[in-house]
Amino acid sequence: MLQQDSNDDTEDVSLFDAEEETTNRPKQSKIRHPVASFFHLFFRVSAIVVYLLCELFSSSFIACMVTIILLLSCDFWAVKNVTGRLMVGLRWWNHIDEDGKSHWVFESRKDSAQESKTVSEAESRIFWLGLIACPVLWVIFAFSALFSFRVKWLAVVIMGVVLQGANLYGYIRCKVGSRKNLTNMATSYLGKQLLRQNTGDDQTS
Amino acid sequence: MRSHIREFDSSTLNESVQNTIMRDLKAVGKKFMHVLYPRKSNTLLRDWDLWGPLILCVTLALMLQRSSVDSEKDGGPQFAEVFVIVWFGAVTITLNSKLLGGNISFFQSLCVLGYCILPLTVAMLVCRLVLLAEQGPINFMVRLFVVIVMFTWSIVASTAFLADSQPPNRKALAIYPVFLFYFVISWMILTFTPQ
Repeated sequence: MLQQDSNDDTEDVSLFDAEEETTNRPKQSKIRHPVASFFHLFFRVSAIVVYLLCELFSSSFIACMVTIILLLSCDFWAVKNVTGRLMVGLRWWNHIDEDGKSHWVFESRKDSAQESKTVSEAESRIFWLGLIACPVLWVIFAFSALFSFRVKWLAVVIMGVVLQGANLYGYIRCKVGSRKNLTNMATSYLGKQLLRQNTGDDQTS
Repeated sequence: MRSHIREFDSSTLNESVQNTIMRDLKAVGKKFMHVLYPRKSNTLLRDWDLWGPLILCVTLALMLQRSSVDSEKDGGPQFAEVFVIVWFGAVTITLNSKLLGGNISFFQSLCVLGYCILPLTVAMLVCRLVLLAEQGPINFMVRLFVVIVMFTWSIVASTAFLADSQPPNRKALAIYPVFLFYFVISWMILTFTPQ
C-alpha cells in the first residue's frame, strides 16, 4: 500500500515536471534590443506630442503637419519592418502572385531553443503597450477634432489612425494565427466553460 | 508556391536592419526609374509600396504653397487640400477600376497612380523656377508647354501599367478617370501664382 502510494507520488511529480518544462520556458526580463525598443516608442510618442503641442512650438500649421506625417511614416515603417521582428518575432506583409491576386502573409518566428531568439518579457510588454495605446489615442483625437470643428487637422489624425491601426491589426493577426484559429479558440473556450458549469452543477447538486 | 513563400519568410524574418532599409530604398528607386522610362512590365506592379506617392504628395503640396503676408493664415488649408485631392482621387479611380471588373489589387493601383505623379512634380518645380522671371504671356506659354508635356508623360506612364488589367472593351472607361485626375493636378499647377 505504501509502495503504491509512493509510486503514485513519483508519477504525479514527474508528470508535473514534464508539464512545467514545456510551458515554463525561461523568460528573460532583460531588454535585448534597447535601440529597437527606444525607436518603437520614440516615433509614436513624439508624433502624439507634436500634435498636442504644435500650437505652442510654431505658428506654422504646415511645418507641424509635415513633421507629424514624417514621424507617422517612420513609425509605420519601423514597427512593421524592424521592431516587430526584433522584439516579438512577428511579421506581416502583402504578396502578389502572378495572377495579380494579393495575399496577406502573417508569420511568427517558431520558438527555438536558441537563447538569442526567444522573446523577452519586458520587450514584449513594451511592444504591445506601445502598439495598443497609441492608435486608441489617435481615435480619441479624431473624435475631438471632429466635434470641436478643427477640421484642418482631420487629415493628419485620420492618417495616424489608419497607419497605426493597420500595424495593430497586422500584429494581432500574426499573434492569433489565422482567423480560423481565432474562431476555433473561441468555440473551444466556450465549450470548456459550458462543460465546467455542467460538471460543477452536477457536483453541487 | 507555398514553399517559395516559406523560404522568403525565414530570410526576411531574420535579416539585419540595414538589409531591410537598402531593400526598400532600392525598390522605391526602381519604381521611379520605371516611371521615367515607361515600359510594359509586370514586376513593377507586384511589389507595390506607397513611399514614393507619399514623398511626391508632400513635395507637391509644399511647392503649391502661396506665400502669405499674414503668418497665421499660412497655406494650411491648401496643403491639406492637395493631400485630399491626390489620395481621394486615387482611391476613387481604384474603386472605379475594380467595379469595372479589373483584376488589379487596391494597393497596386494606388501605387501606380501615386508614382506617376512624378512628371507633374517635376513640372511644378520647373514652373516655380520659371515664375521667378518676369510675368507675361511668354512666361505663361512656357509653363503651359511644360505642363502639357508632363501631363502627357503621366498619362502614358500610368496607362502602360493600368490598361492591361482591364478587359479590352472597358479600357476607355477605366482610363478616363485617370485622365481627369492628372488634369486636375495639372490645372492646380498651371494656375499657381506665388502671391
